[in-house]
Amino acid sequence: MATFIDTYRSLFDLICVYGILSLAQYVSFRGGVLSLATPGFALIGAYAGAILLMKTGVGPFVGAIGATAAGAVAGLILALPLARLRGVFPAIATIGFMQILVSLALYAEPITGGALGFNGIPKVATTPYLVAAVALVVACLAVVNRTGIGRAFDAIRQDVTVAQALGISVAHYSRVNFALSGAIAGLGGCLLAYNTYSVMPDEFGFPMLVLVTATVILGGRSTIAGALVGTVVLLVLPEVARPLRDERLLVQGALLVLVITYMPLGIVDSLMERRSLTVAARESRDGADKASA
Amino acid sequence: MLVQQLFNGAVTGASYALFALGLTLIFGMHRILNFAHGAVFMWGALIGLYAVLYAGLSLPLAFLCGILGGAFVSVMLDLLVFRPLRRRHGDELSTIVASIGASLVLLNGAQQLTGADTLRYPFGVFPLAFYQLGGVKVSSEQIVILLTVAVLLIALVIYLYRTPLGIEVRAVSVDEKTSTLLGVRPGRVYFQTFALTGALAGAAGVILGITFNSVSYTMGEGIMLQGFVVIILGGLGSIPGTVIASLIIGVVQSLTVAYVSTELSDAILFGILFVILMVRPNGFFSGLHVEHRVA
Repeated sequence: MATFIDTYRSLFDLICVYGILSLAQYVSFRGGVLSLATPGFALIGAYAGAILLMKTGVGPFVGAIGATAAGAVAGLILALPLARLRGVFPAIATIGFMQILVSLALYAEPITGGALGFNGIPKVATTPYLVAAVALVVACLAVVNRTGIGRAFDAIRQDVTVAQALGISVAHYSRVNFALSGAIAGLGGCLLAYNTYSVMPDEFGFPMLVLVTATVILGGRSTIAGALVGTVVLLVLPEVARPLRDERLLVQGALLVLVITYMPLGIVDSLMERRSLTVAARESRDGADKASA
Repeated sequence: MLVQQLFNGAVTGASYALFALGLTLIFGMHRILNFAHGAVFMWGALIGLYAVLYAGLSLPLAFLCGILGGAFVSVMLDLLVFRPLRRRHGDELSTIVASIGASLVLLNGAQQLTGADTLRYPFGVFPLAFYQLGGVKVSSEQIVILLTVAVLLIALVIYLYRTPLGIEVRAVSVDEKTSTLLGVRPGRVYFQTFALTGALAGAAGVILGITFNSVSYTMGEGIMLQGFVVIILGGLGSIPGTVIASLIIGVVQSLTVAYVSTELSDAILFGILFVILMVRPNGFFSGLHVEHRVA
């Protein structure tokens, strides 16, 4: 049993960290914002956390809070040009944002360590802390979802024009969305740095973008559980079947195409829809029985 | 020195135009932001190189192979990925996600094929000669590239604006449902646009593969990013805008690499992108479509 835990502890840690990053991406999609900025925010959070911990000597908790705040501020700044834009523009712009940050991290060697990045970061984010962080993020999102913000996100995702007609300020809620997504991704990036001993610019490029997008699409875009289920499936699959690990690109790519075409709601959302349909059917049948009786 | 940099940048930019035109046309006509266009470009370059290396074809024939290969990959992309999605009425997010997935599959294939190596053309495959034109050194390669790009662009414009097939394509881009009622078959139009844009991407792939003499499975990623900046600057869907924007981006890139720094080149390019998005999100040239912008 002890060896079992030791073997799979690093995988479990990875699932927690990527679970948080996927939740950040989930916030964007849920709010109807076609933003792919999660890797960029994660990069900011990771460097902020690493610099706070290693160079200023504050504790890891302050470091994580600082990283979260840095992500949120980055989200607000990014929202300035992007909150008013719809359609494919945010997608293109946020990919540009990611690329700018990666090349700045490579260039600003005195601060970021260049291509080698930071090494020797103490492993302060151990498994219990990671689980606590996931629980905290999930709790926060669950609260947000129950407030007017969550309802506004739902309305905007389903139909922008209707949302505007209902008096919802799309630009305002897009700003909120960017800040929230940035904060969560900043925390996720910081935990990645605190868990894996190092930060390198290359970690925050296209592979991370593809992974967090794939988890949310696979799991489902409208529920918190969707992002987490997607993360577990995508990270455990390569461990279960060896050929899947060697052909990771192929598996991720084919999954993305097949899921978005044939199961566009994702695993969790499809199940929920089926359940609500059967419940509705049963209720209408019961109603019909009563009426005939 | 400065004039030389301007000229070299413009030549590279001309090849970017072939690539970016495909991106902007598919978006302008079918509302698809095709993230797999870079993979099509890469496959065109790879097929052109293999035609020289293993089939021993001459460069013009290899160029033709690259064009046909790009068209083939692009058409398969439409048939296997975008058509099933259209049938199920996918939205913008789903086309983006599906094309990212498709590009991963195409990347994986090329990675297996090349063994993740960077491949090169054999030495002297292109007979090089240099000419002095008013202080600018011009190579025979650059002249051929400029001529080829010009011919392809003119052919594209003639096709779209002077042939019945091109009129069908433009009809579908204005309104798919109405043009179907008028007897246009959308499936055939999609086939044409994807074949055409794939061919242009394949041509760009072979040209840039020769220019930098390096072909690898990752080469589509960089040009995809430049392509995004180009199509935003040029206005999504606009042909003249895209050509001018490509030349501008090629020049800007060659100047930043020469006078500022290679590492910062990407950051400067995308800095420009953000400025455009803040000032004029529709680009600086009028496109085929008016973009939706809320609030």
